[in-house]
Formats: sequence, structure tokens, C-alpha cells
Amino acid sequence: MSAGTILTDDPEAVSAEDAESRSWRIDVRIGDALLDAIDAVHDLRAIVVTTENPSLQRMLVERARGRRIAVVMGCTDDTMRRRAVELRVDEWYRTAAPSEEVTWRIHAAIARATPSGAEVAKRVENVEYEEMLYDALTGLPTLPVMIERTRAPFKERGELVVLYLNFVRYSKLEEIYGWEKLDGVLESTSAAVREFLDENKLRTTKMMVSFTNDDDFIFFHVPTEHARAATDREITDMTVRLQQHVGARLEAAHGEEIATLVDVYVGSAHVYYSPKIRLERLIYRGIREASNAAKGVEERERGRRVADLRQTLRDRSVYVDYHPIVVAETGKVFGYESLARGVMRSLRSPEVMFEVAAQADLVWELSRLCRTRAIEAMPQHLTGDQLLFLNVDPHDFFDPELDGFDVEDPKCVVIEITERTAIKDYPKFREKLQKFRDRGFRFAVDDAGSGYAGLGSIANLEPDFIKLDISLINSIDTNFIKQNLVETMVGFATQHGAKVIAEGVERAEELETVKRLGVHLVQGFFLHRPGQLGVRAPVHAVGLPG
Amino acid sequence: MSARSIPPILVVDDNFDNAEIICQFLESKGHPVLVAHDGDEALAAFETVRPILVLLDVMMPGRNGWDVCRVMKQHPEHGRNVRVIMVTALGEWDDKQQALQTGADDYITKPVDLPNLALRVERNLALLTTTE
Repeated sequence: MSAGTILTDDPEAVSAEDAESRSWRIDVRIGDALLDAIDAVHDLRAIVVTTENPSLQRMLVERARGRRIAVVMGCTDDTMRRRAVELRVDEWYRTAAPSEEVTWRIHAAIARATPSGAEVAKRVENVEYEEMLYDALTGLPTLPVMIERTRAPFKERGELVVLYLNFVRYSKLEEIYGWEKLDGVLESTSAAVREFLDENKLRTTKMMVSFTNDDDFIFFHVPTEHARAATDREITDMTVRLQQHVGARLEAAHGEEIATLVDVYVGSAHVYYSPKIRLERLIYRGIREASNAAKGVEERERGRRVADLRQTLRDRSVYVDYHPIVVAETGKVFGYESLARGVMRSLRSPEVMFEVAAQADLVWELSRLCRTRAIEAMPQHLTGDQLLFLNVDPHDFFDPELDGFDVEDPKCVVIEITERTAIKDYPKFREKLQKFRDRGFRFAVDDAGSGYAGLGSIANLEPDFIKLDISLINSIDTNFIKQNLVETMVGFATQHGAKVIAEGVERAEELETVKRLGVHLVQGFFLHRPGQLGVRAPVHAVGLPG
Repeated sequence: MSARSIPPILVVDDNFDNAEIICQFLESKGHPVLVAHDGDEALAAFETVRPILVLLDVMMPGRNGWDVCRVMKQHPEHGRNVRVIMVTALGEWDDKQQALQTGADDYITKPVDLPNLALRVERNLALLTTTE
């Protein structure tokens, strides 16, 4: 089918292939014949004019404008170009431009020339509409689409199972690693879910939905004819396997750190068709029920984890991984960040462990244990002037026991304070910091540059080290805004006598970029993985070319 | 990318004079340029012409530059293949943070310094060709 006719006085302007790829018919007319053709051709979309005759140009533009036909002018020199601007043609190009350029100029001109921007608005609406119906990241259809698709089979079969997959702590991922990481993880997750369902007995009737840009998925299962719907027991079984599958896939693609951070909880609901109730209402009711069931599972799991945490505190079963921080230029180990982890798998991720502690109001108890554990191993493992970086939440400073916190040599300890937690009583907090500073402890601001907080709030804490937020380092080699922010931070730190640490360095290009920007210290999987002191060898040598 | 392919740079600015200056400058450097004067026009051009690089003014009536950038970057097919340079009057920390959130790749402050603009365009185009 033809997408319309393009009228021109230059047979060379658009190549046959380009015209064909856009389904355009090219009609070549010379001189006054061009003018007559404007009224004669019924599906005319645009005219491409290269004539140097000014009066003909003017007449062509006026006639075309009357019919709301797009005008593109091929200009031989600057005089003609000025004329094109005066005549307000929709697009112009310099002759002889490649056919491809003329082609997209015609496209743009058509978009511009359409009456009162109605078509433009429609096109924009289409883009937005597409976005609403299909999730950009996962490519999965959203709820309105799925309800329409489910309508007929649901009516026919009379029943429908709704599975609600609630992915927990995905927002945390964004908070820590930035949205690029979250997007990547969501993509792997939906791929893993689809893969799992394909291999499963629910395969025959699976249909999936996701909420746009959110981290919950819904799955509609309409049993095929002669087959019974999956029983609750089968669904529970499947859920467990699904969790394992997603976990394994995430670990393979993004590492253990991320796999242990996120959880998936599944709830299900059975919906039976009733002609008296509107189908949408039935489905929405089912979704709500399934979502509540998923929440119930989450609650139970939370209860279990609180019990795990209590036991962990009783048995002191927390171990510490040490993540080396190295000098960017030389690759020499400058110090170690201590990362406390639960011995139990359910509490392996520090984020999860502290979240559970917050829910059970056990944060101080857990923090005390983690601090003690971290410095226990310190004397035998730190060599020379290596430092130990210890995470301390701002709230911990109000723990009376912290005042008694003591180590043999406070100069070897850097207290990392996260910028993410809002500090309520600022003057008192600074007072507490000063006391530690007087005793010889040093300070690092963690996750700097993550919020809108800016540099002022960092300066207020007078840190010795500024740890850049991971989201700033992720893909820094291709993002110039991140580079600029990091450069600013390095300049600011140097002015204030502090050193900048880039954490989350995962690729050689990222390392090269932060080194070039003058970052003093680096940390990340590309260099070392966190591990027990003295056990792990470095992953890559730093400071060496290639 | 075939040799004859010359995807354009899309310049989006509601000020006709600014757009014209930038446009002439980039064309003198050998880049084909397409101009749009508001957010909707920019998105329509993005859909039909598929530019590889967008110079996007932040302050525009109607749909502002941040919105346009977000829609472009979330485009299911083309979002990954376009680089967006924000043109902004402010060079503040908050502004850059917002630019990161919307998915922009680079920024340049107003008033636009042409040699600096050339530098930013070149370095973004260089990344496009090396990543392909």
C-alpha cells in the first residue's frame, strides 16, 4: 500500500530504494507542471523543490500551504537557503544531500506540516499509549491489555487462577545502585520468570502482566480444556521452585550481593466466572486477593527472619567480610571495609539483616555485635598503616553504648556514615562526632552524591574520606554528567583535605575513568571481591596497563 | 552502520534564534541537523526520523526537556540508541542529579558556547560509534 506521493522536480533527490522502504510513490514534474500537480495528485504528502526560480518557489509554497502539504526545499547556495527560511518551508537541505537525508527531512516536514499539530499530538499520544500498554523494560503487557486477552478464555473455562508475584527490596536496589542497575535486574527477573513458566506445567495457558515501571508481576492461569486448574499445593510447590530459579538467575547475572538482597513472594487466588458480575471486577478482586495472600507469605517470612535474627544475636553468629579499598594509582591495599553478614542464609545480605533488625527494634543490638565482630579480627590482619572502614548508622551515635566503643588504635579506624539516613538532631550529632574525632577516629561520608543533598551537607561533617555513591560509578565511562559530578566532588574534597573513594567499580572502563578524574581510592568487584582477610587474591591488578 | 547512513542530530529549542545558531554551527561541522521547537514536535521527530543524538533545551513551554528526555529514553526500541545532551540555564548540583534521573547522557550550560558544544557533540558521537 502506498504511504502517499512525493512530488519533486529533482529525480535524484530520493533514491528508488529509499522511496520503496517508505512506500512512497515519487512523481517527478518540472517547472510549472509541478504547480499544477499539487492540485491534481490526490494522495500528495510532500513536495521537494529544487528550482531556483523565486516566483515559482513562492507560488509552490503558497499552493502547498493551502492544501497543508509539506514543503522541503533543496538549496544550492546560501541565498536560496535564506529564501527557504523567509518562505517558512517545513524543511530544507543543501543540494545534493544524500537520499537518506532528504528522506528523513521529508518525514520531519510531513510531521510538521500537518494541520494545527493534530497529527503530532496523535503521534505523541501513540507513543505514550504504547508505553502504558507495554512495560518498556520487560516488554510485558500491562493489566488493561491482559484483561482483554483473558476475557474470552476465562468466560469459556469458567475459572482463572491469579498469581501475584511480589518482588521485595527492588526499590532498595535502585536506592543503592541507581536505576540502571534496577532496570537490568528487572529485565533478568522477567526473563527468568518467563523461562521458568515455559518449562512448567502452567505453560499451556500462561499469560503475564506487569505494572508499568513497577516491580510486581501478575500471572493469569486459565486451565486448558479437560485439564484441572493447578491446586494450591502445586502452586505452593511451584512458588518455591520459582524463587530458587529467579535467585539462581539473578546470582548468575548480577552476583550474590544482589541475589541475596531481593526476595520474591507469591500469592494466589482462584476466581470463578459469574455472568452477574462484571468480568473486570472479578479479575481485580482476584488480584487483590492474590496480592493479600502474597503479603501474608511475606509476613510469615518476616516473622521467621526475626526469630532467626534473635538467634543470631544470641549465638553471635555474624561473620565479617572485608572488602579491600585500594589506591587508584598503585593498586596497593589502603584499607578494608568491613561488611557484617549473618551466618544464616536468610540473613546473608547486610541490608536484609538490618531491615529485619529495624522491624524488630533490634538495630542497636545488631550494630553492636557487627562492630565488635569487625574489630575482633583487626589487629592480626591489618598491616602497616592499613585502615579499617566501619559502617555506623547515624542513629547508632545515640546508642549510649557507642560512647564506650574502644579500639586499641583509633587512628586505624574510619567510621563510615551514610548520607542516606536523615540526621534529625544535627548539632548533637556533630557534637558526638567531635568526641570521636578527638579520640583519633577518622570519618567517611558514605553514598555521597546520591541524594539532592549536595556538597554543603557533606562539608558540614568535615569528613576525611568521601565515598561516592555506587550509582555515580555505574557506567560512568559513558555518562558525562556522572563524570562531571565526580570531578566536582574530587575538586571539593581536595579543597577540604579529604580523599575520594569510588566504590562499585565493576569494569575496566569505569576504573580508567575514575582514575582519569583524579579519584584517590577505589573499591569494587573489578579489583577485589569481599572476603575473609588474607584469603582472597585480587581479581585484577590495578595500575598496570591493559 | 552502512556508509551512506547519516542519522541526524535533533536540536530542540523553543527559541528560533538559538536553534538557528546551533543548527548552522553543527551543519558547518558536517552534521545533518533537524530542528524542533517544542517537546511534542521533538517527540514526533524522534518517532519518524530516529536521531542518534538530541540536544534538548530544558526550559520549554508545555512539555519540558526533562519530560521529553524521559519519554525518549524509555522508548522500547530506540531508547537505548539515542544519546541526549541537556541544554540548561543552570549548572547546579540538583540539576545534574535530575538529569541523571531522567537518563540524560551529557549536559551543556546556557548560554551555549559553540566550541564547547562541538566538543560535547563529538564525544557523544564517538561513544555511539565505538559501542556499535
